[in-house]
Amino acid sequence: MDAFVELSAELTGFSAEELRSTGLVEQYRALAQDASHAEIIELWYTGVWRGVIPSSRAYAEGLAWKAVGVAPPGTRAPGFGSWEHRPRRSSL
Amino acid sequence: MRAVVVGAGFAGSLIAKVLGDNGFSVLVLEAGADTDHDEAVERFRASRVKSPLRPYRTTVAAPSSDYLINTGPFDYASPYLRMNGGTGAAWTGITPRMHPDDFRTADIGRGRNWPISYDDLEPYYRAAEWEIGIAADADEQRQHLPVAEGYRYPMHALPRTYLDRVVASVVDGASIDGHELLVVGTPQARNGKPVDGYRPDGNLCAGYASCVPICPEQAKYTPHRTQKRWSGTVELRTRCVVNRVHADEFGRVTKVSYQRYEDDTTGRHTRHEEEADVVILAAHAIENAKLLLMSGLANSSDQVGRNLMDHPALLTWALMPQPVGPFRGPGSTTGIEAFRGGPERGRRAPFRIEIGNWGWGWSAGSPDSDTAEFVAAGLRGTALRRAVAERVSRQFALQVEVEQEADPANRVTLAAERDALGNPRPSLHYGLSDYVKDGLLAAKRVCDQLFEMLKAEDYTSYKPDEERYFEHNGEPLRYWGAGHGGGTHVMGSSRRDSVVDQWQRCWDHPNLYAVGCGSMPSLGTSNPSITMAALALRTADHLVSSRVEGVLGKMSKAP
Ligand SMILES: Cc1cc2nc3c(=O)[nH]c(=O)nc-3n(C[C@H](O)[C@H](O)[C@H](O)COP(=O)(O)OP(=O)(O)OC[C@H]3O[C@@H](n4cnc5c(N)ncnc54)[C@H](O)[C@@H]3O)c2cc1C
Ligand code: SF4
Repeated sequence: MDAFVELSAELTGFSAEELRSTGLVEQYRALAQDASHAEIIELWYTGVWRGVIPSSRAYAEGLAWKAVGVAPPGTRAPGFGSWEHRPRRSSL
Repeated sequence: MRAVVVGAGFAGSLIAKVLGDNGFSVLVLEAGADTDHDEAVERFRASRVKSPLRPYRTTVAAPSSDYLINTGPFDYASPYLRMNGGTGAAWTGITPRMHPDDFRTADIGRGRNWPISYDDLEPYYRAAEWEIGIAADADEQRQHLPVAEGYRYPMHALPRTYLDRVVASVVDGASIDGHELLVVGTPQARNGKPVDGYRPDGNLCAGYASCVPICPEQAKYTPHRTQKRWSGTVELRTRCVVNRVHADEFGRVTKVSYQRYEDDTTGRHTRHEEEADVVILAAHAIENAKLLLMSGLANSSDQVGRNLMDHPALLTWALMPQPVGPFRGPGSTTGIEAFRGGPERGRRAPFRIEIGNWGWGWSAGSPDSDTAEFVAAGLRGTALRRAVAERVSRQFALQVEVEQEADPANRVTLAAERDALGNPRPSLHYGLSDYVKDGLLAAKRVCDQLFEMLKAEDYTSYKPDEERYFEHNGEPLRYWGAGHGGGTHVMGSSRRDSVVDQWQRCWDHPNLYAVGCGSMPSLGTSNPSITMAALALRTADHLVSSRVEGVLGKMSKAP
């Protein structure tokens, strides 16, 4: 079992699979060695580590955006006119 | 005919194109460097604070607005960008025209009148809309503006956001203070579906939701598009900072001096001169004024640098009762136009309300700020995830642009402090009159009422420790910079009290022009660039026709 992933899942409300699919587990594990819980959540949710974004992937995979069900601005495009439709309910 | 254009931004790129198309030999001197598009997108993604200038390459030799010095009672809060393409690379791309009344602001409100009318500019609005590529529906615009009969915008209006439909379903037909409300589509400089006979440049808007500061899809217009269409007679030299325009004893401009640099990180440079038959300053409102002041030109009226105005923007933000899907697609596709005029204009500044589709991103820094708030409140795991989803998916904002009248006391002067090239930094004395403050307060009250009608939960708050906070009639208020600086080389009908004439030609110098929002005697309540672009095309037409035949017919594909 991976203690960092397990702790992250518990703190963020995202499953271990969801966290792994971001491709950021190794990078974040290295950064967050002596981090507080609040810092670990901030890192996963916003991609910000102590005031900086460690990689553009960290921004693109921010869990706050995933919680809402939209892509972070400037990362993935939902397609022309997609904004017309009623948003789909988030899965929770 | 040798023309030198100073600045390859929005206005300069347009003028250079028309002149080049008509056989002028054109040299465009641009202070900034080029930014690679992919690098800029990458820099945007990796920036903690995604402010408008962030993605772009900056140089020590040609600093952008961050080198301004504020000396007035209020901070001038609008950025501008010195890079090839100018602020026109970072802009949002919202392009409503001014109202006919906005050309007579002294008569019906505060400030100055224009020497020309809406009708004089109307054909050039059409030409600019076709050159830039605007998506809008003429019939819809006619609900509040006289758009020429039979005219079509080059692209159909973009689809409205889901949020727009929710707002319209409640407010359309209702009224506030005797103004009937209607949600109206906003013309957009981003690609929609073309009408017959128009070939869009770039891809269809795909909804990246980062138009300002950068559209990854290149669906938004930037001056680089116009530059690609320049004829072979237009030459661009980047990294050339013009620091003086020279005139002879009769007032005729003879040449410009500029400083050329290679390296991004120092002020090391070489000095050069370029002779010209005509010089067109298109360096942005504040830099145009700075350059005229540094050159000691065009100022017999003592108006150079004065009348600095912008749109102080009021932001208000709330939660809809249901999810509305913010952060999908463009920042704003509609607005409420009802408060742009009316008799109140005699007493307080008018305003235009944008319906903001990017949640509380601009106003409060969402969703990072929401996450921080919930984490601080002790939420963890599923409860946190649910709280963020619930909060952010219901967010929306109203972004209100309030007119600011031309006031000679708001001005650009030369600071004693120097930049890395040894040129004076611009010093800004900026304030808000009671007319503007009353407009901001009235706008706040209208937002309050709109939120009530929408049954939206108001989260707006302005705190004393925040930037640009103030109180007016005991009410807390705050303003944001819209990026719409103008007025600094104001146009008028007399050389005694204005800097340029109706052709944007300096009264004091027959072959010196200053173009851009700096020429505008009033900004009205619309984002100014389409008006500025129309003026630029009118000036280009004048330059060409004062030498050869007119180009309007040739230039405008608009029916
Ligand atoms: C965040 C933001 C959003 C905006 N959104 C909108 C919008 O939605 N709709 C709208 O209508 N307007 C918008 N604007 C305003 C719009 O960007 C400006 O009105 C427009 O870019 C002004 O055009 P310009 O050609 O005068 O100046 P710029 O586009 O700034 O171009 C000036 C050029 O001159 C160059 N230059 C400066 N000094 C010198 C010198 N000494 N020598 C040589 N070259 C020089 C600069 O590097 C630059 O390339 C926005 C502005 C901002 C900041
Ligand atoms: S919504 Fe996206 S694709 Fe459309 S103009 Fe804005 S950034 Fe570009």
